[in-house]
Amino acid sequence: MISGLVQILLWQGLGELVSHFLIPILPGPVLGLILLLVFLILKGHANSSLLVISDAFSQHLGLLFIPAAVGVILFLPQLKAHALAVITALVVSVVLTITTTAVILRLFARTNSNDP
Amino acid sequence: MIHEQPQIADIWVYLSGSPLFALVITLAAYQLGNLLYQRTNNNPFANPVAIAVVLIALVLYLMDMPYQKYFEGAQFVHFLLGTATVALAVPIYKGFSILKTRLIPLTVALLCGGVISIASAVGIATFMGADTTIIGALYPKSVTTPIAMGIAERLTASPTLTAVFAVVTGILGAILGSSILNLLGMNAWWQRGFAMGVAAHGIGTSMVLEPPGLLLFTRKPVYTLVWPWVCTAFWAQS
Repeated sequence: MISGLVQILLWQGLGELVSHFLIPILPGPVLGLILLLVFLILKGHANSSLLVISDAFSQHLGLLFIPAAVGVILFLPQLKAHALAVITALVVSVVLTITTTAVILRLFARTNSNDP
Repeated sequence: MIHEQPQIADIWVYLSGSPLFALVITLAAYQLGNLLYQRTNNNPFANPVAIAVVLIALVLYLMDMPYQKYFEGAQFVHFLLGTATVALAVPIYKGFSILKTRLIPLTVALLCGGVISIASAVGIATFMGADTTIIGALYPKSVTTPIAMGIAERLTASPTLTAVFAVVTGILGAILGSSILNLLGMNAWWQRGFAMGVAAHGIGTSMVLEPPGLLLFTRKPVYTLVWPWVCTAFWAQS
């Protein structure tokens, strides 16, 4: 597990460096993700310590964004003032996105009939 | 020599000044949220993150503790978000081989769904007169939350609001998704999972997929990779 964590932190560090010096528009962790992914594809397999640590992280991903999300208390007056706009935007956006994606996937499946 | 009162007060002052307090309430609130989520048979309304946020907000309010002070302690948890983002490369890699044969339909559906997701949220909020802080945070909200927050920071939008919108989007998707997909007559599990993933990331996806273990294999592969560019390109044009 520790060996996996060390690997992940090193890729994160590399991502931060690339972000700082080469591609400032993308955040370091996202670049770290891309670099590690490219590395895994080239290498052809992921070692077990990496699997353990990534499982642990994805299982409790929710925990990690709590500190930032609690900051919503700073925005309460603003959110209250625009509550209707925010709720409508979020609900309509979710419904439209699911519908669009589903319809497009089905169109493709129909033209390619051997797809389940 | 009775020094009971001041001593207890001293200990309290000391503890609330160290990161310990913020870390304990963050983890305890999450634990409680998880417990409630399991007790209600994974009811999407009992989202563990939403519960934890409400509980912590209440504690801070009752203790009259400013958010900045809480975050000083909780930042250690927050830092690991970046690390967790990098670790997403592993499930994406594992999903790649499964998705290879369906790369084209999934990419087209992802791009269209993504554009609709941003355009509708931002369009409606703008039309209804929301202010720029809120609109800015709506741009990256459909991306899986840690990546969304990273992007929000670069877009100078508020990562906080983005995180909140992303969690709410996930909950909404989990509540509404199954009925919409049934209404449209969608049966194939990978189509259902992917549609939910584009709209409402992991929280939603887990709700419509029968084998929950497949959650990570359906969406994140193409999605998380392509999304950051779609998002930034969209931002640059506006």
